[in-house]
Amino acid sequence: MDRSKLAESFALDNTATDIIEIKRRIKYENELDKGFRKKIAESAHGEKLYGCIQCGTCSAACPVSHYMDYTPRKIIQMVREGFKTEVLNSSTVWLCASCYACTVECPKGIKITDVMYALKREAISGGYKHKNFPASVLASNFFSQVLNNGRNSEGPLLLKIYLKTNPFMLFKNMMLGFKLWRRGRISMKTEHIKDKKALKKLLQSMDNMKEAAVI
Amino acid sequence: MSTFNGNGQSIPKIGFYICHCGHNIASMVDVDKVQKYTASLPGVTVSRDYKYMCSDPGQELIQKDIKEFGLNRIVVASCSPLLHEHTFRVATEKAGLNPYFFHMVNIRENVSWVTGDKEAATDKAIDLVRAAIQRVFFHKPLVKKEVPINPDVLILGGGIAGIHAALTIANAGKKVYLVEREPTIGGHMAMFDKTFPTLDCAACILTPKMSAVKNHPNITLWSYSEVEKIEGFVGNYRATIKRKPRYVIEELCVGCMDCIDACIYKEAKYPDEFNLGMSKRKPIYIPFPQATPQVVLFDPDTCIDFKSHRCKKTCIEACDRDAIDLKQTAKYEEINIGSVILATGFKTYDAKFAPQYGYGRFPNVFTSLELERMVNASGPTSGEVLTKEGKKPKSVGIVHCVGSRDEKSNKWCSKVCCMYSLKLAHLIKEHTGAEVYNFYIDMRTPGKGYEEFYDKLMNEGVHFIRGRVAEVTDWALAAEEENKLTIRVEDTLVGVVRRIPVDMVVLSVGLEPREDASDVRRMFNISCSNEGFFLERHPKLAPVSTFTDGIFIAGACQGPKDIPDSVAQAGAAAAEVLSLICAGTIELEPNTASITEEFCSGCKSCIPLCPYSAISFKEDTKKAYINEALCKGCGTCVAACPSGSIIQNLFEDEQIFGEIEGLLRFAGIDLAGSETKGKELEHA
Repeated sequence: MDRSKLAESFALDNTATDIIEIKRRIKYENELDKGFRKKIAESAHGEKLYGCIQCGTCSAACPVSHYMDYTPRKIIQMVREGFKTEVLNSSTVWLCASCYACTVECPKGIKITDVMYALKREAISGGYKHKNFPASVLASNFFSQVLNNGRNSEGPLLLKIYLKTNPFMLFKNMMLGFKLWRRGRISMKTEHIKDKKALKKLLQSMDNMKEAAVI
Repeated sequence: MSTFNGNGQSIPKIGFYICHCGHNIASMVDVDKVQKYTASLPGVTVSRDYKYMCSDPGQELIQKDIKEFGLNRIVVASCSPLLHEHTFRVATEKAGLNPYFFHMVNIRENVSWVTGDKEAATDKAIDLVRAAIQRVFFHKPLVKKEVPINPDVLILGGGIAGIHAALTIANAGKKVYLVEREPTIGGHMAMFDKTFPTLDCAACILTPKMSAVKNHPNITLWSYSEVEKIEGFVGNYRATIKRKPRYVIEELCVGCMDCIDACIYKEAKYPDEFNLGMSKRKPIYIPFPQATPQVVLFDPDTCIDFKSHRCKKTCIEACDRDAIDLKQTAKYEEINIGSVILATGFKTYDAKFAPQYGYGRFPNVFTSLELERMVNASGPTSGEVLTKEGKKPKSVGIVHCVGSRDEKSNKWCSKVCCMYSLKLAHLIKEHTGAEVYNFYIDMRTPGKGYEEFYDKLMNEGVHFIRGRVAEVTDWALAAEEENKLTIRVEDTLVGVVRRIPVDMVVLSVGLEPREDASDVRRMFNISCSNEGFFLERHPKLAPVSTFTDGIFIAGACQGPKDIPDSVAQAGAAAAEVLSLICAGTIELEPNTASITEEFCSGCKSCIPLCPYSAISFKEDTKKAYINEALCKGCGTCVAACPSGSIIQNLFEDEQIFGEIEGLLRFAGIDLAGSETKGKELEHA
């Protein structure tokens, strides 16, 4: 008998799907990313991740953990066991308010907030987009604007985010935007510094330094 | 009370004392009422209550009253006699009164702790006190007997506990007989490779102690021997030791192993017990290179000569010391000893009883003890961790709590498995670089340096998955699981059921009592707890003593224990033994039975009933005789004697009847018929 087919029939009961949504919850090892924990542990301040004793202090100390789909404790265990997709798609990393309460209270000295940052970077670079959290879009657009122009221009940034995430929000907030514009609180102009070339040069030399450091 | 002065003793002047025991008694029993009631009973001169009778002022109160009022009977109503009978007897004796004029009433364990009804508690306390008061009328002065202690010690079991106890006692200059069942001492510890949490080599720290035992002038080492019989009592035991035949004369053999090389079997053919059957040995063998004593032995079940008598006997030719004697038979040694230490150790849980883990069915499922042998340099694979196919595993799963914390097998936590699993995880990772998964229910690492070891392992990148493994299966449901063993477990910390394919599974089997522990227990007349481990006299305050004086326990025969704890217990048992020996003599309780010869008919019905073999039959007078040193005062013979010729001190008929009479007043029954005061109070 074809075992993989048998496995499917074990895992998914198709006849039941029209009654309630039934999701396969079992995890096979090939669905996990074995190198994930190493990657996160090697990022800034992540090295103590392995020592987690799963006490749950971080989850209890976190002011927003009750809104998260996985608590910080669970996130650490999932990172250690290679649940990459689940972790990077979770709301936890984006809900983290960076208050550092977990880091302060962790009995094993794990820098949990820094781990959350590492996961955010991983999610952005890996193209994981959470539909309720446009934070990654905001971050990438903000940085590209600053790198190009040396300045942040709020109007165009907002416009870009709305267009990329939810264009309907543009219509909803149009009147508010108009009022702000009329009073000079917001501008649709793209601002930039005088000497963009010098900025480019500066950034270029920093990149060179980074490369030199890596070598 | 017409009979109280029947034995011609002075008229009793009873002092009665009731203890509050803080709130333990006073919160449930109306202490004042009991005290006042008792004061009204005949014979009671003094009746008092006090917060803590066992305290120094409490004891001084008794002594003062004895001197002031000339008291000659003391009754204290307080806690259990097990706790403080001795205290009060000593206090009584100090005031110049025979300690057996003291009697104790337990109104804590028997009354206040077991009810929530204050009135009923007070009533019961009154009844018990009245019974005691009527009993002490008939008490007689008794004298303790002293017997000398034989300074020689028998130690059963040559594991690390037995070895340590033997060396401690022998170093103190006392003679020790160390009896070991196996051909070599060393026990389970000799099978281990490394010890947690320091990871020092087990053999390196054990073998010096083993050879110290062998060479110690005060230690007689009898390996491959068992105790056949033991009789006697504290300080004066007599044991028969059976020395099983090795078919090699121990004194002549030097362990050169020429005979093993010369054996007609060129290849080792039979499963080696020491390596748990994972390697082969010849019919003539030495268990392991550092075996102590270094003496070879024959296995008569596999040797050709024992089976057919047609072997060329090349082994005998090879031995230039004529040490081989195929006609050897079991030898019996009789020894006199004063005390015994039982250090018979444990056995591991048989993983076949957990069929869901596939031990015995899948060749790559090993027990932790098998893996200990495998990682050991002198083990079957010379220290390589290999699957049955001879390959290095890429992933290994360690399943904790096999045969522990399970109502269906053993309820208890085996205490050492978490730590040895961590150690094995470290060794496997070190030897093979494999991914190692630990599946645990709870991680239990209490001990010096143990939590730090756990932390070290986590940082080494060993996976810790909290969840009890449901099954180990070879049924592949995914391509990655083909030709592997798949472990199905809930990762309870993530909340997801996982299937983890591994090349090798290690079952961390729990510790349990040896299969013949109950035989040993019966032979030495000690108790065991309901799981079968030997029972200590008190779990906290007498952890190495037993309920039989002169018999001590050490190591894992008392309960699962790691090496440091076993050694600590062995030291404690040695100290207890030495304290007995140094005392030189021991006092025996005088509550023994004796035969009134003129009434004894010589029917012998008491002799087989005595659980301590204290009764013998004197052929010349045709009467039974009780050895007072052996008698424990259980009273079985007293009840059985058809002619009523056996009398037991402290439990004489009139004492017991007096007590019963006092108790029955509770139900309104008055045997004497003259005493009505108690009744009136009941009605009031």
